Amino acid sequence: MTTTFRVKVNGQHELTVDPSEGTLLEAMEAANIDTHYHCRDGFCGACRTKLVSGDVYYINEPLAFVRPGDCLPCCCVPASDLDLDH
Amino acid sequence: MSYSTFNKNQINPLTEPMFFGNSVNVARYDQQKHSIFEKLIEKQISFFWRPEEVDVSRDRVDFNNLTSAEKHIFISNLKYQTLLDSVQGRSPNIALLPIVSIPELETWIETWSFFETIHSRSYTHILRNLFTDPSEVFEDIVINEEIQKRANDISQYYDDLIFYTQLWQTHGEGEIEVHGEVHNVTMRELKKKLFLCINSVNALEAIRFYVSFACTFAFAERDLMEGNSKIIRLIARDENLHLVSTQQILNLWQYGSDDPEMKEIAEELREEALAIFMKAVEQEKEWAHYLFRDGSMIGLNEEILCQYVEYIANLRMEAIGFDAPFKQRSNPLPWMNKYLVSDNVQVAPQEAEISSYLVGQIDSQVSASDLGDFDL
Repeated sequence: MTTTFRVKVNGQHELTVDPSEGTLLEAMEAANIDTHYHCRDGFCGACRTKLVSGDVYYINEPLAFVRPGDCLPCCCVPASDLDLDH
Repeated sequence: MSYSTFNKNQINPLTEPMFFGNSVNVARYDQQKHSIFEKLIEKQISFFWRPEEVDVSRDRVDFNNLTSAEKHIFISNLKYQTLLDSVQGRSPNIALLPIVSIPELETWIETWSFFETIHSRSYTHILRNLFTDPSEVFEDIVINEEIQKRANDISQYYDDLIFYTQLWQTHGEGEIEVHGEVHNVTMRELKKKLFLCINSVNALEAIRFYVSFACTFAFAERDLMEGNSKIIRLIARDENLHLVSTQQILNLWQYGSDDPEMKEIAEELREEALAIFMKAVEQEKEWAHYLFRDGSMIGLNEEILCQYVEYIANLRMEAIGFDAPFKQRSNPLPWMNKYLVSDNVQVAPQEAEISSYLVGQIDSQVSASDLGDFDL
């Protein structure tokens, strides 16, 4: 049985995300949320998103500096229910 | 304190700050104070490419069919990019290597600069293909007033840091008179100059390149100048990595995980750092105005380009702890992203959307009549 997490984006979108099905960025795109990105590989930092609450797990270690309270959705998956400000 | 190419003192690079500690002696990477720089080196080297691998021969035909306004946009951008990479191909080495104190960062700086020289060589590759004699284009870079305005802001922080470092290395700290002018050289002053210099480089890598990138990719969206666009994609991917390194340095200072004095300086000079960024934004908008002075091109005009500068400036400034200063929160040029996605850069030839494959071919057009002589 796969575990899914509830991800709230910008206070208006409620997503159910399965971490085994791709990155957080892909999940947001699938929900037709207007996303910011460039490299999609964790090294440019363009997808930087405020992690209001919750934890993420990086499937690829990002090279961009992740400031406390931020996450890079292009290379992470949810590790708990999340509240994001993208 | 004079510079030695091999510091004979026994030092522990794990306890050195990034800059202005003991100079590096053994180039060892088995242990790292800031392992991020080692990872950046690995990533950058994995991106290795040569301009000659990209076939730009079709671009000449496309170029000759452009309107004069479009030719102005294309050539002006190449001139500006040539300036930026001329500076970046040498300055990190000259300004930062004499003061760096950890081996992984020293090697990152050399790797970074080396890739900028590849970019410079690719502009020659592009221009040599477009013009029988590209001298006029190159010579205009040091004459053109619009480019000069930017050159000054780009180089002054480097020049200032280099000059003070030279004074410090020959005379040590204190008041030093050179050509009748007294310079007060202190470690604090040197570090301030370093901080402003890295902020200026960060602004350069973060937004200055992107106005030209947008124009290049706007041509590519119309299936024009595709060889050039393929090269600029490779350059954009490298520049992203360079940007990350300056953001890392600034953030490491801000969070006090390197040199505590740099943390103080980062707070003290916050407004100046912000001003450097805002000035770069203004200059890029002026540049957009200059580019489109003879007319715009399909898919891009001055207004949209300025909106893009604001959009990207917001992203970049948030990355180093500033608030987003502009209202432009949505991407006015969504097609830009497909050129900036790292995975799209190097694909198998048969999968590429564009006609000029990565490894060069002289004639990339084949028609049915070419096979007319074959009998089965």
